[in-house]
Amino acid sequence: MLPSFAYVRPTTLKAAVAALAAPGTRAHAGGTDLLGCLRDRVFPADTLVSLAGLPELVGVTPTAEGGLRLGAMTTVATVAGHPDIAARYRALAEAAAAVASPQLRNQGTLGGNLCQRPRCWYFRGDFHCARKGGGKCFAVDGENRYHCVFGGETCFIVHPSDTAPALVALDALVRLAGAGGSRVVPLEKFFVPPSADFTRETVLEPGEVLTEVVVPAPPAGARSTYRKVRARGAWDFALAGAAVSLGIEGGRVKHARVVLSGAAPIPWRVPAAEQALIGHRLDGATIARAADAAVAGAEPLADNAYKVPLLRCAVEEALTALNS
Amino acid sequence: MSPVCFAPDSGGGGGASTPAPWGETKVVGARLPRVDAYERVSGSAVYTLDLQLPGMLHAAIVRCPHAHARVKRIDTAKAETMPGVRGVLTGESPGAAIPWYQGREGPLSLLFDPHCRHEGEEVAAVAADTALQAHDAARAVVVEYEELPFVVDPDKALAPDAPKVHDWGNLLGQPRVTTRGDVAAGFAAADAVVEMTFRTPVQMHTPMEVHVSVAQWDGDRLTVWDSTQGVYAIREALAGALKLPLASVRVVGHYMGGGFGSKLELGKYTVIAALLARRLGRPVKAALTREETFLVAGNRPSNVITLKAGAKRDGALTALEARLSGPVGAYPTSAVSAYQIGDLYTCPNVKFETTNILIHAGKARPFRAPGFPSCNWALEQVVDTLAEKLGLDPVELRLKNIPTVSQLNDNAPYTSTGLARCLTEGAVAFGWTEARRRPKTAGHLRRGVGVAAGMWGYGGDPNATAIVTLYADGSVNLNTGASDLGTGTKTVLAMVVAEELGVAPDRIQVEHADTATTKFAPSSGGSQTVLVNSPAVRAAAIEVKRQVLEIAARQLDKPVGDLAVADGAVVVAGAGGKRVPFSELKGLGERRMLVGVGMRHPHPEGKLALPFAAQFAEVEVDTRSGAVRVLRVLAAQDSGRVMNRLTFNNQVFGGVVQGLGFALTEERVLDRATGKMVNANWHDYKVPTMLDSPAEAECLPIDPHDTECNTVGAKGLGEPAHIPAATAIANAIHDAVGVRPLEAPVTPARLVALLAAQERKG
Ligand SMILES: Cc1cc2nc3c(=O)[nH]c(=O)nc-3n(C[C@H](O)[C@H](O)[C@H](O)COP(=O)(O)OP(=O)(O)OC[C@H]3O[C@@H](n4cnc5c(N)ncnc54)[C@H](O)[C@@H]3O)c2cc1C
Repeated sequence: MLPSFAYVRPTTLKAAVAALAAPGTRAHAGGTDLLGCLRDRVFPADTLVSLAGLPELVGVTPTAEGGLRLGAMTTVATVAGHPDIAARYRALAEAAAAVASPQLRNQGTLGGNLCQRPRCWYFRGDFHCARKGGGKCFAVDGENRYHCVFGGETCFIVHPSDTAPALVALDALVRLAGAGGSRVVPLEKFFVPPSADFTRETVLEPGEVLTEVVVPAPPAGARSTYRKVRARGAWDFALAGAAVSLGIEGGRVKHARVVLSGAAPIPWRVPAAEQALIGHRLDGATIARAADAAVAGAEPLADNAYKVPLLRCAVEEALTALNS
Repeated sequence: MSPVCFAPDSGGGGGASTPAPWGETKVVGARLPRVDAYERVSGSAVYTLDLQLPGMLHAAIVRCPHAHARVKRIDTAKAETMPGVRGVLTGESPGAAIPWYQGREGPLSLLFDPHCRHEGEEVAAVAADTALQAHDAARAVVVEYEELPFVVDPDKALAPDAPKVHDWGNLLGQPRVTTRGDVAAGFAAADAVVEMTFRTPVQMHTPMEVHVSVAQWDGDRLTVWDSTQGVYAIREALAGALKLPLASVRVVGHYMGGGFGSKLELGKYTVIAALLARRLGRPVKAALTREETFLVAGNRPSNVITLKAGAKRDGALTALEARLSGPVGAYPTSAVSAYQIGDLYTCPNVKFETTNILIHAGKARPFRAPGFPSCNWALEQVVDTLAEKLGLDPVELRLKNIPTVSQLNDNAPYTSTGLARCLTEGAVAFGWTEARRRPKTAGHLRRGVGVAAGMWGYGGDPNATAIVTLYADGSVNLNTGASDLGTGTKTVLAMVVAEELGVAPDRIQVEHADTATTKFAPSSGGSQTVLVNSPAVRAAAIEVKRQVLEIAARQLDKPVGDLAVADGAVVVAGAGGKRVPFSELKGLGERRMLVGVGMRHPHPEGKLALPFAAQFAEVEVDTRSGAVRVLRVLAAQDSGRVMNRLTFNNQVFGGVVQGLGFALTEERVLDRATGKMVNANWHDYKVPTMLDSPAEAECLPIDPHDTECNTVGAKGLGEPAHIPAATAIANAIHDAVGVRPLEAPVTPARLVALLAAQERKG
């Protein structure tokens, strides 16, 4: 059951940031992830600082540079249904549409989707695991069918977000506001792998708020897509997925981003797969080479080797879809 | 006033006056929306979970977090001083030393047993003003445990050095062997023999409404509102646990949010609510959290089934030999059923051995045809494989082996069996032959079709009493002890009254599932609710009709034989016959009401009335991702008469989707290192969603017009609609990609591995 906490709803970003500087506080966006964590005692909170009083954090607007600015409090449903996003950043629209369920997409926000905590059943369950300050990762020798095949070190979570791999593939930036002002970080650098620090998933410092996501203008000949494999049709995180963004000029791939989901503790960019694409025509042979490269070096645990062919398939299907 | 009007036994069911079977019906069988649809959809229906009584407290239960542990010490001091807390209950509290779970030599455990044999066992309980306060306080109870070695893997539980669940070890009873004929001779005579080993998952019940009770005392009398499948069964168990006379205990179970078998037995939470309510002098609600229901409210045990089958060239089965085993959890119940191996098909030589294993996990409870879907998973895949080996159409092979008698019951004949019709008419409606002829595509999306037959083995409790009361204005009260789990029981029983008494269903008020105000009905489980209660209701309605006609005969000075009831009136035979509305019957006006008591008649002697089914599925398998999409399902069901086509379809589609979960997505996962369940929630435990349900689902009722099974001609439906569903999908997967999914659920992980192994073999 949900423990008790205080709830404040500041009406300026400054006040929100100030409130969040106090220990024991947590930012509350849509609450779809946060309240579950509190109820399941994943972590405690004395005070929730709602971001719902900050209208400037909502909305999708064009940037001067030809990109799009997405406020952190924009709902996932809005992102999924926005015509500009569907037209120019298809991977993001598809990823947002693949999130959870209609109710959760209506309530959950883009910022919350990027900042959500891992879905590992040990982390969420009654297990004092490494990420919660305990001594070990229960997944290594435990029930690890849903855990990572890349980048697991001391902790074997997969990053839960669908929008994150799409946004990494689209070279998105995030703006983080803190007491001393704001900073802009490439989304790819926003996520923290366990090798760097297995107790956090993002570079957000206490008191910092993610205020917006900026996707730059797409490269020439841009096309992108997101392919997600899951155990059931809705309300389910990715078993495996791939976000791919390409720039194709003169029939050849000039720009490529291949990012896996359900694969690693962070959205897993695979430069080897990108290299296999760049400079080539997007034909069957190239696609197969890139798909192979995407999963080369995977290190499955006892129960998740199936993810390797699934990831390969996701990359192959995403690239094939971009070929037509 | 003629005394005959008040002789309830004269028309009350019993053998002699058993009414003739219905011919054509007017109301029964129609597509009638539920009588309580508005309440259920608008949210005004009060489920037990919604119930609020003045001064009501809320209970929360302290549970053992370990798979196996001994409680050394319980410290409730802090919890007792927390805000809102009214009382704490432990095994030491007066009256709380209640024995629980019967073994062969007496009780095996206690309401609060310091020896906790699975995660979630009850250790203490707290009552507080609000549920949140109660749960906070329960967390503040300090319990010191000695953790003990455990075994949760049934494959390891019978090893000599496995930690024991009970002193005697982990084998529950001895493996039981059942034999008919000579299997060795049967296999020797076979032209084809197949042997395979199957594994099925632990499936969870996941009813929409969690398990919940509200207890209130009035002096020495206890009233309990319970989300239960059977108020009478709960009353008996509750009175036993609290050592109260049956007459002092009232159990009420009105709106109910599903059970699937997990709400047939008394839960500890119910007794805990009663004990706290007695001590604190206030009503107490004990509602489990969703997570708790996964740990302590039952499950369908996993099964390991090795099945060998032999058949002649023409498909006639010569022998079936099987070993079935499964874990019951930490306390006795049954984990397996070989019934269909013994009885679905004619087979002279059969042998099966069943083994029940104890492990340190929550006790199993009956789950929609206990043991049958798991056994079906093995039997119907083996039969399919035989057909393949013999080059026969799977439908053809099954048709070769249709029994007309129950071989497990001294060859007692069935009152009816529509199994052959389910297969043949189902195949036609599905387009089976055409679908099988379609060439297989070469790409990564492969289609396949599959069939599975099934049967259910319980014919119902013959005892039930119903009361029908006709009031002076022509409105009716139907009084039945039956619980309506959400299946439409109230609606179907009201339709029976409407049929016999000629009143519109909306003139009928249903009063049900309350041991104080209704009479005995068996629990709504075992697919018996309609077939047990409808005949009792029919008998009661017929008795009221008899009284109506007698009154009318006197008033109109006509022989009873010239009168009939229709549209809330008595009608005189013949063209332009006079019509007297019930409200204008003088005798009824004087008496204010006519009462008919109806009792269920006995089952037909020497015969069995059982339902049968055959289901057909078409799937599309993505060979790259291992994803299986069920494109369409056709369920041909011989459940006798269709009482209401809408609720009939609901049962069938629900059974099919629950079977789809069994086949593709649902599976309890226990952590091997700690014995704790890791997916005890609705996200990690994957019940299929609407998007996973077949886009096309068709239900084909096969009514054999059974005039012997009972006086309404209906057989069971809830379970037979579920039993073959998973296996039809498995057989369709095999047809699509050529691999045998021996292990359920067929997740992308398993299917990708099977396909990779197939590729390696070439
Ligand atoms: C059953 C279920 C299934 C799901 N399935 C999927 C899925 O398939 N794919 C997927 O991608 N997601 C899935 N989700 C996750 C869901 O999309 C997220 O819960 C949602 O996007 C989070 O948004 P929110 O606004 O509700 O965040 P909140 O719950 O309010 O916050 C989440 C976390 O982020 C922090 N936070 C939120 N906003 C900010 C901000 N602006 N700055 C700093 N910190 C912030 C909060 O403090 C909190 O720790 C699922 C969730 C559930 C419950």
